[in-house]
Order: sequence, then C-alpha cells, then structure tokens
Amino acid sequence: MSTFDFLLQGLTVALDPMILFYALIGVTLGTAVGVLPGIGPALTVALLLPVTYGLDPAGSLIMFAGIYYGGMYGGSTTSILLNTPGESASIVTALEGNKMARAGRGGPALATAAIGSFVAGLIATLALAFLAPYVVKLALVFGPREYFALMMLAFVTVSAAFGDSAMKGLTSLFVGLALALVGIDQLTGQARLSFGVPELLDGIEVTTLAVALFAIGEALFVASQGNTVVEKIEAVKGSVWMSRSDWARSWKPWLRGTLIGFPIGAMPAGGAEIGTLLSYATEKRLSKHPEEFGHGAIEGVAGPEAANNASAAGTLVPLLTLGLPTSATAAIMLAGFQQFGLQPGPLLFATSPQLVWGLISSLLVANVMLLVLNLPLIRLWVKLLTIPRHWLYAGILLFATLGTIGMNPSPVELGMLLLFGIMGFAMRLYCYPIAPVVVGLILGPMAEQQLRRALAISQGDWTTLVATPVAAGILLLATLALVVPLIMRMRGKGALLAQLASEED
Amino acid sequence: MSTFDPATKRRPNGAAFIIAAALAALGALLIWQGFAIPDKGGYAGIGSGALPKFVGFALLVLAVLHIVSGLRDAAPDMPRPHWGPVLWTVAGLALQVILLKPLGFSIASALLFACTAAGFGKNKLALTVPIGLALSLLIYGVFDQLLRLKLPAGLLERLIFGG
Amino acid sequence: MKHTLLSALFVAALAAPAFATDYMIMAPAAPGGGWDSTARSMQEVMQAEGIAGSVQVQNVPGAGGTVGLAQFASTAAGDPSQLIVGGYVMVGAILTNASPVSLADVTPIARLTGEAEGIAVSASSPIQTIGELVEMMKADPGSVSWAGGSAGGVDHITVGLLAKAAGVDPTKINYVAFSGGGEALAAILGNQVTVGISGVGEFLPQVEAGTMRMLAVSTADKWQGTDAPTLIEAGYDVNVQNWRMVAAAPGLSAEQKAAVSADIDKLVNSAGWKSMLETKGWANTYLAGADFDAQLAKDIESTTVVLKDIGLVK
Repeated sequence: MSTFDFLLQGLTVALDPMILFYALIGVTLGTAVGVLPGIGPALTVALLLPVTYGLDPAGSLIMFAGIYYGGMYGGSTTSILLNTPGESASIVTALEGNKMARAGRGGPALATAAIGSFVAGLIATLALAFLAPYVVKLALVFGPREYFALMMLAFVTVSAAFGDSAMKGLTSLFVGLALALVGIDQLTGQARLSFGVPELLDGIEVTTLAVALFAIGEALFVASQGNTVVEKIEAVKGSVWMSRSDWARSWKPWLRGTLIGFPIGAMPAGGAEIGTLLSYATEKRLSKHPEEFGHGAIEGVAGPEAANNASAAGTLVPLLTLGLPTSATAAIMLAGFQQFGLQPGPLLFATSPQLVWGLISSLLVANVMLLVLNLPLIRLWVKLLTIPRHWLYAGILLFATLGTIGMNPSPVELGMLLLFGIMGFAMRLYCYPIAPVVVGLILGPMAEQQLRRALAISQGDWTTLVATPVAAGILLLATLALVVPLIMRMRGKGALLAQLASEED
Repeated sequence: MSTFDPATKRRPNGAAFIIAAALAALGALLIWQGFAIPDKGGYAGIGSGALPKFVGFALLVLAVLHIVSGLRDAAPDMPRPHWGPVLWTVAGLALQVILLKPLGFSIASALLFACTAAGFGKNKLALTVPIGLALSLLIYGVFDQLLRLKLPAGLLERLIFGG
Repeated sequence: MKHTLLSALFVAALAAPAFATDYMIMAPAAPGGGWDSTARSMQEVMQAEGIAGSVQVQNVPGAGGTVGLAQFASTAAGDPSQLIVGGYVMVGAILTNASPVSLADVTPIARLTGEAEGIAVSASSPIQTIGELVEMMKADPGSVSWAGGSAGGVDHITVGLLAKAAGVDPTKINYVAFSGGGEALAAILGNQVTVGISGVGEFLPQVEAGTMRMLAVSTADKWQGTDAPTLIEAGYDVNVQNWRMVAAAPGLSAEQKAAVSADIDKLVNSAGWKSMLETKGWANTYLAGADFDAQLAKDIESTTVVLKDIGLVK
C-alpha cells in the first residue's frame, strides 16, 4: 500500500521533462563509455560519477541510474559485435551473440539483448521494490555449503551445454580449472603456481582469458583459413529488426533469465556470471533448436542478457536492505548513494524512503530511456560489420588488446593475452570447445573456496554438504542433471544417431 | 565457421599424442606443485594443495584418454591452416607486447593494426600504419582526456598530449 | 637534507594552490571492506575539498592486500598520482604469504585512521557475552568458527591473541577467511558461522538495526557507538588497533613525495575529512613523516613476533 504510494510519488518526480532529459544524457554517456573495451559497468559508473555532481539531487540520481544501465548495455554491444566481452557477466552473451552477428543477424541479437535487458530490468526493479525484504532473508540462507551446491549445479549443467565430445569438453574445462589455480589462495594466503612472478599472484583475469580465447583466437583462426577462401561476414541478412519467430523464441528466455538472475544476484556471493551461465544452460536444454547453439541461437542471447540485468537489480537487494555491496558495481553505487546523503544499511528503507523510492523510480525511467535510445542505434551498430574484413579484424585486435592495456598495462598481462590467443587458435583448429575453459576459470575458485569454508565450519565433516534441505536439494538436482542425460543417451543412442544422420542431409 | 572443407587432405593423428603429452605435462606440474605447497588445511581437512592434485590427476586421466582415442580413431578432417596470415597477426601482437612500454601505446598499437591488416590481405604498410596510428592516437586521446585513464605513454603521446 | 626540505616546501607551495592533481587510489581489497571505504572516503573528500581534480578508486582484491600491493608496486612505479590504501592487515599478510613485495617496495606516506576490532554475533545467536564465547572455545576450539578477513590479517591475529590470552591453543582456532567485508557479514547475519570479527564500523549499523550483537571491542578504551566491553575489561589481555594508511608509488623523487604528503596533510586537516571520520566512526590517528616511518617499522617487528607466536609464520 505505502510501497505503491512511494513508487508513484517517485515516478511523478521522475517524469518531469528536465529529469527525463538528464536520464537521456546519462544513458547516452553510459552507453558511449560502456562500449569502450575493458570498461565494464563498474568502471563506467566510477568514471562518470563526477558528471552528476553539479546537478540537483533528483537530476543527479536519475543521471546516475541512466549511466548505470547504459554502461551495462554498452558492454553487451561489444560482446555481440566484436566478441570482446568487457566483463565476466557478458562473456556468455558473446557466445551466441557474436555468432549471430557474423551470420548477418547482429540486428536481432542486439535487439533481443536490449529488449531482454529492459524486460528483466523492469521486472527485477519492481521485484526489488516489493520483494526486497523477503528476498534478502532467502539470500542469507545461503552459506558456503549452499553456494558450493550451486556451483556444482552450474558445473554440471554448463558443461553439458558445451561441445559434442565429452572428452574434449572435459579437457577444456580442466584446463580452465588448472588456470584458475594460478595465484594466491585466498583461504591460506599461499601462492600457487605463481613461480615467483608477482604479476601471477593476481591470478588470471577472466576477461583477459575470455578476450584472448574468443576474439584473438577467432581472428587467428579466420586468418589461418587464408584470404582466398573468403569467409563472408554478412552485416545484415534479412531484417535488421527481430522477426516474428525471433520474438516467439525470445520472450520465454527473457522471463526465465530474469527468474534465474534476480535471486542469484541478490545472494551475497552469487554474482552475475553464475546467473548468465545457468540461464544459457537452461535455454539450451529447453530450446526446440538445440543444434543452433554454438552457431547463433537467439535464446542464448536473450536469456543470459536478461539474467545479467536482473542480477544487477538483484545486487541492489543486499545493498539497500543490509548495506552490503556484493559486487564491484554495487560498491561504486554505494559511493554514489553517499553523495546523495544516503547511507545504505539495514535501516535505509525506514529512515530515507524518499531517496530509496526516488532511486527505484529513476532506475525504471532510465531503463525505458535505454530502450528508446538504443533500438534506433542498432541500425548504426551493425554497419560496423560492413567494413572490409582486414580493417575489421585489425580494429578488433586493437580493441581487444586495448581492453587489457586499459585495465592493467603490464607486458605480462599482454603476453598472457597473446599466449591464450594462440591457445584459443589451437583449440579451434582441433575442435575443442572454448567456453568451458572460461567456465572453469570462473567457477573453479568459487567452488573451491566455498567447499573449504563449508568444511572448515563443519570441522572436516563432509556430510555438512547435504545437511540443509537447500544444499541437499540443489546437489540432488545437480546429480540428476548429470545422470539423467547419461541414461537417456545410453538408451536412445540409436534414435539419436538416426536423428543426427537425418539432419546431415 | 566449424564446417570444414572436406577436400582438405587427411593429416596423421599425431595431434592427439602431442595434446596428450601437453596435458600430461600440465597434470604433472600441478601434482608436483600440489605436493610442494605446505598443507594448511586446518579444520577443513583440505588445504591449498588439494585442488591442484585433483586437477592434476584429472589431466593425467584425460591424457591417457587422448592416447587411447589417438590409437583408435582416425584423424578428423582438418582445414589446412595458412601459416602466413597467422604469423603476421601473431607478430603484430608480439610487437605490441614488446614495444608497449618503450614506444608507448600508439606506436605499438599502430604496428599491431598494420600487421593484422597485412595478415588479412592488406599489406600496404604505407597506408595501414598511418591509419592505425591515427586510430590509436584517437583512442589514447579519448582515454586520457575524457576518461582520465592512463594508457602507457611514449614519446609521441607526450609530444601531442603533454604530461 | 636541508636542500631536500626546502625544495619540497617550494614544490608543495607551488603545486598546492595552483594545480589540483588527479589521483588514482588503489583499494587492495574487495568492494565493501574497510580499505575500500577508506579509499572511497578519501576520494569523496579530496574532490569535495578541491585537493584533487579527479580521484578514481580501483579495487584489486586478494590475500590481505598483497595482490594489490604487488600490482601497485609493479605498475605505479614513479607515478606520483597513484596512491594505495593499506594497513595493519597488509603487514601481517606480507609476512604470512612470504610476499616478494613488501611495504619497503612502496612509499608509505601517512597513517590516517585507527579502528577497534569488533567481535559480534548475529542477534539470534545464543551467545550473549564474550565470556560465553571463550568458554565454548576452551571446551572445543574447533566448534567456534570465526568469519573474518584474509588469513594472517588483523582479524586473524586478534583471534589468535584472544585465544592465547584465554589459555586456548592459538593454533587450534577455526578461522574461516572471507575475501570481502560484504561476504563475511552475510555469513554472520545468516548464522553460517559462530561469530564474526571485523572492524567495529562494519558491525555498528547492524548492531543499531538490532540484527547483530557486539560482544567485545579490541582497543584499550571503549569504542564510541557501542557499550560492548573491551577485551581487557572482560579479562583478556588483548589490545589491538587496526590502523589504515596511505602510501604512494615507489621510485618517487623527494619533491614528489613531499607534494603527495602535502596533499594528504591537507586532506586530513580538512573539514570534510573530519565530518567523514565522524560519520564512519573512525578515529583520527594521523601520523606522517619520520614518526610514521618509525612507528611502521615497530609495528612490522611486533607483528612478526605475534604471527610466529600463534603459528602463522614459521
């Protein structure tokens, strides 16, 4: 009741024309900076925060919200068009999105990302407004063992989603896990596989690995196909806009992505990557066109993009209700809030409802503004792909390395980019799936730390892992996800082969 | 991209054995490191060395699987890579790594740009180097002047942007 | 010496009023922790007071700040616009990690603040006093799981000292390291661990809201904002204060160092910083120059002894 009143009050403030203008500027700036390589949403907000200082509170709040959403969307744009994900949460978007862009379907890919982000942002922001106190209680149920179970579920479902050969998929995954071991072990402070190189103490940056394997490996592979065999990148094939079937295939993934992303984002150790990975795996399993995955399936863009945006709104749940910033972006937002005299903490909703609801309505308005700005821009973005491919690839490599240089201009980091680029090339040459390497690097350390924390708390008692219904339930789900397809495959091997054979024709 | 020209010639399946050797080497390295780290498992029972050992053994198993599959299965059809363009591109990346600190972002990146363009069939360096340089300087300017993010500066950047 | 001082003064006088330099402050911790909020507070005040044109904060989390320190030492060398926030935790982490990069590889500028360590449980925990907690540790040290920051940090050291003072084998404590303040706090609130230890400031908003109960603070005197007893009052001879500092890049000239010190001095003496300290509940323990260098050397020495004592450093 009062919740609704506050929201309406906030919205009437936000719908003032001048305020809308600020929202537009914020979204434009956010998109422009977010598109730059190596600059994820957190950095975008951090860089542009000072721009908002001069405005009145309402104006600066909404510009801030616009920058935030613009930065998020800008990152997906480069993932889709150039295969250079700027942050770990948009890696999954690159998987199918870039394949779509290369097949002349960059327009629909960008559109489904934009509309999916909008839908997810809308639903998740409303959920934030009405459900935050309940969601946060749920999120606190998750301790190390529950997180560990969640990681296992992610491992199983995600590995099943990549590659046709189990041996090759597992090889990729374990190479990723091996890379994940490099650096200081957070729980004991001991250095592992660093061989005395200080730069390696940082571990291997996920975006460095992803950009190297995706963008550089791909470029080398395309180069190796020679210049005589012209692999044509068609900028636009069919409509630049989403077709009826694109809509039909997108709306469910948007909703499912939101459903997966929001609660995981709300968990203090959840993170956007897991939401996007789980959404991708879910969409592949539920899709009527699983064979299109890996070659540009629109569901594989729609779901993860929605999950990414929903999880960003989810991050605001612990931030606004408990004062816990659980991601880099949330921490930057905290700095922004303090500028508005808002001290996030358990009492925030009670002590400064005006500002909280002002923020939430600003987020809603900025979300709409993002769509208004970006849908017409798609036509321009896909033009990027029409430039001749020697310029295009030269530009992609320049951008790919710029991302690393901008974040950490060390020759070691750049050398790793080259080394992993060559690895990505070799993997493509011998048909090893690329994504599991990145999955191993992302999930490996999370799973390891949570397992060891859970075991420390239980003093080495492994039964602790199934001691709560939530943990046991998730682990059971993971086991089923592992075992059921195996049984199905053994039983239906003949049928499956026949089906594959018929598709060859 | 993953559909290959079936006309390309069959290669001997040495690749599987080379990959197996690489996996075995990586696995052995991990196991060695896993045992080398003093165990501080504490109450958890598993410390810093546990996961390296586990991943190391898994890699050894995968190496064995690769050998088995290499003996059993014929080599898959492979596209024959053109090494020239690949070498151009790798050389461009390597040049950037080496020259980034001494010459600054713009020159190093311009060379990367030109080498890549050459790899993709545009080898008029007199054209590609200046274009790459203009693009890199523009990027440097945007990062330095608008975003206040410092990219490695060389003589050229200091000349143009000061500092 | 005299020459250096003069030129430093000259540079400071010249640089200070005319050019507000830009700074990049590295917070070598995950978002949400103490160093992160120190860096962000500096950012806010330096910009608001016009001490710097633009200030950016970069988070590089991991292993008690040594990951960030190593990166800082290698990438910021010679750049007077780069600062790093650090503190007592880092001193311990450098030792336990046998880090190849130490505080000798950067240019410490000043100690800024100090804070008591707080020991707190979730409001729904059955544990009411620090005495009850210690009794539990005496009975079965493994059954008391402590959530805190990186292994070997001030949180860990304080728990070790408490155990030792209470007659519990300090090597037997069950300490669970979390990488950021946010995650540890969530684990305490969610009753995943028995008890949490962290800077008092991170617990106070929760205590005010009634979601957590503070059992004790680690300083010699009571801490503002909570009536929890000090450990000494509770009968355990432990006195720890977690200080935070700012350091500049290695390889700075004397002039550059003086200019940075002058900016930090201006920051600390500004009205904005004073009100910031008040809202954050941080105590001003500003110490700069040779005094700070001497204090730092002393702290490093005593920390080495403590860590060896509790079995974290061989």
